[in-house]
Amino acid sequence: MITLGIETSCDETAVAVVEDTFVVRANLIASQVHLHERFGGVVPEVAARAHVEALNPLLEETLGNAEIGFGEIDAVAVTTGPGLAGALLVGMAAAKALSLATGADLVGVNHLEGHYWANFLEHGPPEPPYVALIVSGGHTMLVHVPEMFRHVVLGQTLDDAAGEAFDKVARLIGLGFPGGPALDAMARQGDPHAIRFPRAMEDSGDFDFSMSGLKTAVLRHVKASRAAGQDLHLPDLAASFQEAIVDVQVTKTIAAAKDMGSPTILLGGGVVANTRLRERLAAAAEREGLRVLFPSMPLCTDNAAMIACLGSARWTRGERTSLDIAADPQLRLSV
Amino acid sequence: MIVIGIDTSTSQTSVAVGTENEILAKASVAGPARQESVTPLLQELLTRSDLTMSQIGGVAVGVGPGLFTGLRVGVETAKTLAQVSGVPIVAVTSLDALAHPMRHSPRLIAAVIDARRGEVFSAIYRAVPGGVVRERDYTVHPPDRLMAELQAMPGEVLAVGNGAMLYRHVLEEIGSRIEFASSIAAHPEASAMVELAVPRFLREEHDRLFDVVPLYLRKSDAEIAWDRRARGV
Ligand SMILES: [Zn+2]
Repeated sequence: MITLGIETSCDETAVAVVEDTFVVRANLIASQVHLHERFGGVVPEVAARAHVEALNPLLEETLGNAEIGFGEIDAVAVTTGPGLAGALLVGMAAAKALSLATGADLVGVNHLEGHYWANFLEHGPPEPPYVALIVSGGHTMLVHVPEMFRHVVLGQTLDDAAGEAFDKVARLIGLGFPGGPALDAMARQGDPHAIRFPRAMEDSGDFDFSMSGLKTAVLRHVKASRAAGQDLHLPDLAASFQEAIVDVQVTKTIAAAKDMGSPTILLGGGVVANTRLRERLAAAAEREGLRVLFPSMPLCTDNAAMIACLGSARWTRGERTSLDIAADPQLRLSV
Repeated sequence: MIVIGIDTSTSQTSVAVGTENEILAKASVAGPARQESVTPLLQELLTRSDLTMSQIGGVAVGVGPGLFTGLRVGVETAKTLAQVSGVPIVAVTSLDALAHPMRHSPRLIAAVIDARRGEVFSAIYRAVPGGVVRERDYTVHPPDRLMAELQAMPGEVLAVGNGAMLYRHVLEEIGSRIEFASSIAAHPEASAMVELAVPRFLREEHDRLFDVVPLYLRKSDAEIAWDRRARGV
């Protein structure tokens, strides 16, 4: 059974083909990062325009790589939210047209659910329950999955997403956009305990996050050092900032898994590419006897293989989406 | 040859199916923009006309100028339909499609689409045997600039489109030589796309599928701000 996946919720145009839900036949991404770089962040109108230019050539290339024709597609899975409305609509327009022209079934998919499903492409789906930590440029969220396709949101960020905090601090210390990977690399040269930044809400007793206090503390530290005429040791700053974020994420994720009695932790989202988060969570989970899964680097960032995988699984249980579905920028996880 | 037409450049969503001889089916939904209904509307049209996608020989699409988000839905839908079905695509500007039904008027034709933010997309045409020719380039500017442009042109004027309706009071300043087309002609119709595109399909004057993009005429706000900073103003 062949599923085509289309993902255009933010600044990556992505198309993939999976066979029998878990076998990736092709997985391509046309990145727009260079278009947004000079603006220091993703510009929705620029993203939507670029999707219209990139999507159709990418479709052709993906089908070529997968060695299939349009007529062989059984289902077309597409992200319907959350994300940028204008960007989502481009992928959805293509998916609907493809469904009409080929007779393939349309399956609308939630982007955030897709992020933790990326794990199943490489590890197969373990038995639920799971606790999933979804961290990206737009989201920071802990979710309990008591059974497949059911979600209970345990907590989320009250202000910025973790990826946003990474980008803002990276910009502050001149690392450009997107800042995550550069900051990660720089942090590896620094001492994570050099500066003690606040661990916001680490002991709040719930599963919510907040990044704004940490961001302010970093800014205050930079200003104070400059005022005192001291040279900033950027690697130490980067490592200490990163450690403060990672500490809270690890503590809360482990606590959530124990509270929910979930033996398995799933990570998903662009920030999961952060090497420190991966090693710290893996170590903490091992200490607690928990299993933690994270996708390989290319499947952490936005991609269509995860969308195709999830769409195929939902198709298999009989789900079909009507052609008149609208994009939902605030789409919630199914309960 | 059976051709599909799509236009989503204004708050109207319009689809049609036709040949060189007739419009076989058409449907337009006006009102608050719901571009996600393009494909279901087209599906309904095909079903009612007892047609399948395999009988379609080409796709004609309105590329604007118009409202960006809606335009992209129409353009992306058309591109993918053409790509998947392996048929050619023809891009038609929405202003040409507005002017086309007015081709029997001896007047200058001003096609005007509301561009929001106090501006209009417009072009000026003159009727010739069998159609219209465009006398001025597609532009986006405030309605008083269009009015001044028309003022400088001799002869009687017929203004058409939702932008002409909205800024009637501004355009009327050129005096009694301007007349306004009925509000039923205020939005580009997919049937006009079909009529304009069929001769091009027959002459094989197709567009390159991957190159078909909306005619924006206006940069994104972020780019405008960037350019302004770069110029130091
Ligand atoms: Zn994402």
